[in-house]
Amino acid sequence: MMNNWPFINGAYGVTVIFLIAAAGLTLARYRRAMARLKQAEEL
Amino acid sequence: MRTPKKRRLYLVIACGLCLSAAVGLTLAAFSSTLTFFLSPREVVSKHPAEGLSFRLGGVVQVGTVQTTLSGETPTTHFAVTDGRAAVPVMFTGVLPDLFREGQGVVAIGSMGTDGVFHADEVLAKHGSAYMPKDVEQSLKEAGKWDPKFGPPPDASSWNTMPEKTGS
Amino acid sequence: MNENVQTIGLPAKTGGWLHYLANPGRFLRTIRPILPWAGSASFILTVVGIVWGYQFAPADWEQGDAARIMYVHVPAAWVAMAGYAALALCSLFSIVWRHPLADIAAEEIGPVGAGFTFVCLVSGALWGKPMWGAYWVWDARLTSVLILFFLYLGHIALIRAFDNKAHGYRAAAILALAGAVNLPIIVYSVQWWNTLHQGNTISISGGAKIYVTMLYPLLICTLGFYLGFLTMVCARIAAAICERKTASLLLAAVERG
Repeated sequence: MMNNWPFINGAYGVTVIFLIAAAGLTLARYRRAMARLKQAEEL
Repeated sequence: MRTPKKRRLYLVIACGLCLSAAVGLTLAAFSSTLTFFLSPREVVSKHPAEGLSFRLGGVVQVGTVQTTLSGETPTTHFAVTDGRAAVPVMFTGVLPDLFREGQGVVAIGSMGTDGVFHADEVLAKHGSAYMPKDVEQSLKEAGKWDPKFGPPPDASSWNTMPEKTGS
Repeated sequence: MNENVQTIGLPAKTGGWLHYLANPGRFLRTIRPILPWAGSASFILTVVGIVWGYQFAPADWEQGDAARIMYVHVPAAWVAMAGYAALALCSLFSIVWRHPLADIAAEEIGPVGAGFTFVCLVSGALWGKPMWGAYWVWDARLTSVLILFFLYLGHIALIRAFDNKAHGYRAAAILALAGAVNLPIIVYSVQWWNTLHQGNTISISGGAKIYVTMLYPLLICTLGFYLGFLTMVCARIAAAICERKTASLLLAAVERG
């Protein structure tokens, strides 16, 4: 039987990296947008 | 009483219906070429020309697998069946892990002058039922299912049955 | 709040639940307190589901440990398709009722949906190699999902391709609606044609051909992915609304001198 774990690890790795990256980018954009709006409202 | 909104809605629905009909008719017309493989019955009735490359799909017939070693590389003879017809296949090389009797396979190659399908590549198709090994064993021992002879019985009969503990 | 709403061009009149939902200002006020909770819940569900599937779920009788890829591949595929359905729905609201929030939502769903489709394709390839013996085959299921990915990419490009935003929204909405015919093709491809890809494990008519201890992590992952998608899309919509408000506030400040 061929070792399947590199493939399993790869699939989970890609998924986890995507989820973390997408969530991180979304959070960063959300916070930046909120902060800029607050700044603009104080202008 | 046709407001712009209503008119746009009807327009979208009409376009959607036309598009669906067009796509549906196209798919129906091309359905044979959209098929990934030919079944043994289609091969028997259509007689693809010798040397013409195509994909043959079906189940490895039980009791037909014979492997001979010539040097390092194994050559395997087996028959692919769909229950109505069977096509003999010859393949030289290492088969995928999932290859076994009763397993769905797709072989890529062409018919030889000897009436045998010479495969350059064999892909294994796997089932869509997921269960632990123990559950499969229990079903086998109870005589409810043998993976050699087709898919498992109705899902509700096993998907919550207790897992075998010990033996 | 009302003058903010006016700046992004929403008709001021209210009436009907569609108008209630389509008010960007109201959307922002409703969604902001929910986001941290939805984000935390999706994080916990996804972590539990992934660890359960990777480590604790039983190996499959036929595929052994390789079947574990199912716990990320299948939820990603479901979210990719549900995301496209949401995109098509937003496009319908955009074309027929001209809801500004539907345009913003369509613009923000695209990249997230494309990401999940990418995860589905890559995890599927990594599952195909050890089980089938090939990373990729041109069967109807794989090809139709690849088309879904290209539809997402086309939508992302088209909605941003025009100097006049409204033109981009209209063109992209038509693309998204036309592409929706692909969704039933993906679902039924494994029944209509001979494919290397196996049939649907979970269907409304056939029940779940999966053992309970493997079904639970799959469902938890699915719930986590769905909630994660929803949270990310809502956060992006909220950010987009704020960005537009900021731009119009700054513009007004410049005009005042």
